[in-house]
Amino acid sequence: MSTVLDHTTGVPAATPPQDSTRATPARARRSSAISRHTHPMWFLVPAFAILFVFFFLPTVFNFVYAFTDWSGFKSQINPVGWDNFTDLAGSGTLFRSLRITIAYAVLVAVFQNLFGFALAVLLERDTRLNHVVRVLFLIPVLMSALAVGYIFQALLKPEGALNGLLSAITGTDVHTAWLGNTNWTIVVVAAIHAWKWMGLSMLIYLAGFKTIPVDLVEAAQIDGASPWRAFWRIRFPLLAPAVTFNVATALLGSMNGFDIVQATTAGGPARTTEILNIFIYRTFGQGLFAQATTMSLILFLLVALLAFPVIRFLRKREEIL
Amino acid sequence: MRMPRRALAALALVALAATGCSDPASETTTGGPATWAEPTAKLDGVTLTIWAAQNSNTVPKQVIEAFQAATGAKVDVVTIPDPYEQSVQTKVATGDKPDLAFWQPTASMLTALNAKANLQTLDDAPWLDKLTPALRDITGLHDGTRYAALITSPAVEGVYYNKEVFAANGITATPKNFDEMLAAARQLKAKGVTPFFEMGKDRWATQWWVQVQLADAAKAGLWDKINKKQETFTGPVVLDAIKKYKSLIDEGLFNADIKTATFDDQGAALLSGKAAMAVQVNSFFGQLQAKADTATLDSKIGFFPISPTGNVGTFIPDQSNALVAFKTGDAKREAAARQLLAYWMGPGYAGFIADRKTISLQTAVQSPAGVPKALLDVHASLSTSVGSMQALAVANPDLYINLADMIAGTMTPEQVAATTQEQFAQLAKAAGVPGF
Repeated sequence: MSTVLDHTTGVPAATPPQDSTRATPARARRSSAISRHTHPMWFLVPAFAILFVFFFLPTVFNFVYAFTDWSGFKSQINPVGWDNFTDLAGSGTLFRSLRITIAYAVLVAVFQNLFGFALAVLLERDTRLNHVVRVLFLIPVLMSALAVGYIFQALLKPEGALNGLLSAITGTDVHTAWLGNTNWTIVVVAAIHAWKWMGLSMLIYLAGFKTIPVDLVEAAQIDGASPWRAFWRIRFPLLAPAVTFNVATALLGSMNGFDIVQATTAGGPARTTEILNIFIYRTFGQGLFAQATTMSLILFLLVALLAFPVIRFLRKREEIL
Repeated sequence: MRMPRRALAALALVALAATGCSDPASETTTGGPATWAEPTAKLDGVTLTIWAAQNSNTVPKQVIEAFQAATGAKVDVVTIPDPYEQSVQTKVATGDKPDLAFWQPTASMLTALNAKANLQTLDDAPWLDKLTPALRDITGLHDGTRYAALITSPAVEGVYYNKEVFAANGITATPKNFDEMLAAARQLKAKGVTPFFEMGKDRWATQWWVQVQLADAAKAGLWDKINKKQETFTGPVVLDAIKKYKSLIDEGLFNADIKTATFDDQGAALLSGKAAMAVQVNSFFGQLQAKADTATLDSKIGFFPISPTGNVGTFIPDQSNALVAFKTGDAKREAAARQLLAYWMGPGYAGFIADRKTISLQTAVQSPAGVPKALLDVHASLSTSVGSMQALAVANPDLYINLADMIAGTMTPEQVAATTQEQFAQLAKAAGVPGF
């Protein structure tokens, strides 16, 4: 299959093959003319106003305050140039938090996609039972992240329900502090984060499976491919756009994680789960507003810098389509 | 399939923008010297808000009811979630202010609220002359201006011990200095008793161990030197105290579950005699009061202050000891807030301390009967005690978090000192302290 390249950017166009074979350019033009007629551009204004006030403006201020000495200790805000950046660069705490943040994001991306993919495969057939189970797995996505965090925190306490259950099964007293290990707690918290969001990944993988034409799989079967081989060689590669979306959102979304970590460990034990947003929260709470702003600007730039290569790499994977 | 790309872009944008920050608070200034109304003057239709933490929200209950009955004002106590100080600072920074709030009355924490811009001055408050002279100016001042009203006896860092455990193991007198305390601890350990109990999981008490070791140095002006950058946390004085703490833990003088133990565990262990001693502050005793009655506590729990060379306590007024009044820009409510303080520390004071079973700070008001013996000992140690880091340093770094990390094994004493100094300098610089 050929790849359609976008001439302006040189990046492969996002249009998957099934669309490009159906829509002719003329028809596409006509349909866009109709949509412009029924959906005039000014319909965007209310949404854009909200976006502007709550997202663009704070982001701009984020850039401004990072270069000031804004704090809770005094009333004036003076520009200080790159001071905040040089101070932070000299501090080990920032890099430690950055390392933890990236490790956390990678773990979440891996877990969330493994869980979501497994669920999508298990629940792919449109039976009534599967419909019900899909909804059940989607419920955590709609739940408050803090509530999820507090529930897991209670379940995983040394005297919590999980240890109670394990004690009852094994017949011995289990007192594991699931959130108390300086090496493994980050994995546990990432798994909780992934558990909360796996329903969304499942939904997107399910949608991805639905877009794969049945005749392709049938053709493979007629050619003598085993179901295993047909799955991994035909259907899985065709799922590439869903993988792109899921991996990128899980990875970049969890870089901005805060709620679940705050509710389960608040950065502990011994700050081994102190992701950058928790560090920022702590710094802000001390009244060091400019430093906290600088850190969030660094996080912003880091996510932006990471987003391009990750999305580019995942898009490249789609070129085989 | 164009959607995912656009959705992705939008989602990335939303995620990125979520790191943005809000506008700083605008400021209100009220000029002129404050006037103090009669404590029981009518205040019908006035509603005051008091912010309190989870451990102080019941403190004003009785006094508020009496004030409401006397004046007709309405007073709401709003509990701000923990971490209290952090939440309050953030709210105040965005312009959200109560009329009054419980607040640690130390200079560093008054700085943290930008006292000059946000708080009412209480310099000519009517109750000041009634206070015990030794306690009048012990705290609540910042740059020579009074911003906080001390309502209860400030906390002191010292050693709470189980009298029965001491007696059963042949320790007849309380230790006279730090080394004697360690000798007693080793004697207890030899007999199979856990000498000290520390709460590594809840972290905040870890700093008391370092601070009591610094009591003599504090008397000699350690914090002044640190404030002027003539001395640092990485210097031998502070670093040796941190190392000593570590070596005592390594020696096995602490509870085996030090890394995971909580504040609650600590109270239970001392009360049951599982451990003999805990270096703590008044709120620890508050916890014991919730677990046992005064008679039991009097027979079981004692207190002695400790320092390297003697029995010098380290005082650390905390958030439940004092209140600050905010400049809200509404003159009527500001006056009413002052009036509530004047009532609290005036006609309402006897009722307040009787309800709280706490020690009187005023010479003319008798402490109620039934104040536990240990608390009287704590209060008695105040007159000879020295200020803690919180009381005397210009900034309050997270020493306790670093120490807890050291207990958990992820930091060395040198790293604890360096990280604390780094943060101290950062806070001092933000506060505009000369030299930082």
